[in-house]
Amino acid sequence: MLVLAAISFIVFRWVLIPIRTEGSSMLPTYAPDKLHFVNRLSYGTTGPARGDVVAIQMAGPHVLYVKRIIGLPGERVAIAHGQVQINGSPLSEPYVRHRRPWDFEEVTLGPREYFVMGDNRGMSVGEHDFGRAQVDRIFGKVVF
Amino acid sequence: MRRIAAIVFVVVGLALGAWFLLGPTDDGALVRARLRAFSDAVNRSTVDGSGPEARSAQLGAFFAEDVDVDLGQGAAPIRGRDTVMGMAERLQPRTAAFRLQFEDVSVAIAPSGQAADVHLTAEFIRRSITTGEESLDAREFTIGMRRVGGEWQIARVTAVDTLK
Repeated sequence: MLVLAAISFIVFRWVLIPIRTEGSSMLPTYAPDKLHFVNRLSYGTTGPARGDVVAIQMAGPHVLYVKRIIGLPGERVAIAHGQVQINGSPLSEPYVRHRRPWDFEEVTLGPREYFVMGDNRGMSVGEHDFGRAQVDRIFGKVVF
Repeated sequence: MRRIAAIVFVVVGLALGAWFLLGPTDDGALVRARLRAFSDAVNRSTVDGSGPEARSAQLGAFFAEDVDVDLGQGAAPIRGRDTVMGMAERLQPRTAAFRLQFEDVSVAIAPSGQAADVHLTAEFIRRSITTGEESLDAREFTIGMRRVGGEWQIARVTAVDTLK
């Protein structure tokens, strides 16, 4: 019993971190006020892949953004009338239900930068935080 | 067994040494306490019904005379304690109550002991008085603090773009 408690403590303290989502920027994939877990060991050997949902830390690990990886290091990312373009080609995003005609001027990602967005593109662009995140801000992959 | 005990003893000794060398200083604790007092004052002033002038005076005491606030994202910079106090006076907590709390506060004290750099995440939790619904907004900040007459004051606030 004690061993089980110790293992649970270690797992939920350092490996699978429980988080509670707030806000609507990841709808419909993640609804607000739900419990999810961040796997801190997901990117031990490989970096994040396009389509992964990741937690991005602000000043520390207690407040995190939950966003999807859209662009990888070195890629050019733009948004034209709501359609994401990677290196000039449209990106297929089956997880997006509604799109508003957002526009975002093309940026080239640095060698340690990922472009992240929420899945809810039906909200006003001004209310949706998205953009480039440094790799060392990526706290882990959101699972469950 | 004796070897394991020796290893544990050394590890614990090193950890304690590191804590004494790198652990929080008294000044660090004072800066954190001052920021906690500031967030308490903000939170109290939105619900205690105090008048605009009283609220402004309470909050103004936390800022240096020449405070410089840069909220980024195209917002005009706010310069000087009087401007901050003017803004606090205009704060109208009628339609929604909000709560400010600081998370992940890290403090670096300058070698002089008279200044500190703080990095934190500020959470603004708004609760609609009509529906009771809460919404959360969080932003990352660096805050420069200065010791004036023994009291830590906020001298610089700069918003950090977590996503650029």
